[in-house]
Amino acid sequence: MLFAVATMVALWLQTEVRLWLPAGAVFPDLVLILVVDLGLKQHNALSPALAFAIGYATDAFSGTHLGLNAFMMTLIFLLSYELSRHVWVTGKLIEPLTVALADLLNRLGVMAITGGLATVTNIKSSTMRLLVVQALITAGAALLIFALLDAGKRALRLPVRVAAE
Amino acid sequence: MQDPKDTFLWRNRVALAGGVLLLLAAHMLSSGVRQGNTLARPQGLVAEALRPFQAASARMAHSAGDLFHHYFRLAHIAQDNERLREELAQLNQRQARMVELELENRRLAELLDLKEAIDLKMVAADVIGSDATGMARTLILSQGSSAGLQPGMGVIATGGVVGKLIAASRSASRVMLLNDHNCAVDAFVQRSRARGIVSGVADDGVIMRYVERTADIKVGDAVVTSGLDGVFPRGLLIGSVSAIERKGPGLFLNIAIRPAADLRNLEQVLVIVQAPPHLADSGTS
Repeated sequence: MLFAVATMVALWLQTEVRLWLPAGAVFPDLVLILVVDLGLKQHNALSPALAFAIGYATDAFSGTHLGLNAFMMTLIFLLSYELSRHVWVTGKLIEPLTVALADLLNRLGVMAITGGLATVTNIKSSTMRLLVVQALITAGAALLIFALLDAGKRALRLPVRVAAE
Repeated sequence: MQDPKDTFLWRNRVALAGGVLLLLAAHMLSSGVRQGNTLARPQGLVAEALRPFQAASARMAHSAGDLFHHYFRLAHIAQDNERLREELAQLNQRQARMVELELENRRLAELLDLKEAIDLKMVAADVIGSDATGMARTLILSQGSSAGLQPGMGVIATGGVVGKLIAASRSASRVMLLNDHNCAVDAFVQRSRARGIVSGVADDGVIMRYVERTADIKVGDAVVTSGLDGVFPRGLLIGSVSAIERKGPGLFLNIAIRPAADLRNLEQVLVIVQAPPHLADSGTS
């Protein structure tokens, strides 16, 4: 429920704020932060379904191919999940770093799927710079969003982290 | 007896569930799920759920813009007379609102002129949202299938062609803009009749593809719809040629187009709900 509400608020902010921002301005990908939170902290069987649903809901407001965001969000969930199980140790720096990498992967992945691999290999340096800035801004926003989500979980008496058995 | 929690399936249930859902998403993506399909139906519900909030916040943003503007206009006025200031504030707010109404009226009048100039049934819609991730060039409109809107319909504004509808729920819809790299509009250069396909590019901008290298094209030439795609009527302005790349190998020219419609600042658009008359390909090239 917390993630459903958070997703709707994130989508509302992303569709509305982006509309009023000047051309070229970047806005953090809030939905992606929610999925990374799921991957890093919520290791139960419902989490991949939530990640898929978040991506599917994003498909209603973004992109031209139905299933594209569902695919990317599920993939990012799985990668975050596997990384948190096998590689990562939790830490205040690691979480936003994961978000930044996930944001880059998401954008390059979407470009490759919709425009072909050549779109990624022939990417302009100015576009790549913009993608990196976007990833860093999303990572910066992740600190706040993670704190809000953790506070929300505590308020609803939900565990902040659910480890797989 | 083996503990069910000690089995491979249980231990890897998260990854396995994720993998199954990843395959489902890949299936949706590769099979090109369309509107009306079972897999696409819940999407309409999601769009409908958020639509009232988007419409309300679009209105609030207009009002907030007025207030912001109003605040700065008042900042330099003498602070000593509270009553006069309040009166002035009210008048200014009313005036700002009237200016906004006048601008809206002008935009709608221009849309009406356009609507009358094109002899096809059209529906006016407000822009109430942008693409959620910014990775595609799409906008959310305030009208949906209840107003007769369907995916595939053409969208125009006072400047010219805007894009095509790609999804429609009951009271909201989504338009893929001309500068999205998945958009394609059959077009020709008005002066020389050289034909090509206008589409967006992944980085940014709009180009005209598949124009023969020998075609007579100059910077500033108007590019209009050909009417052959069955989406737009013939002769609608798309934009003008801003650059021509003649170097390099290949059969075709690379032509950059400056869109006539201001795709970054759209507030109201018209959706062509009536199919334009079918044109046989007359071989204009």
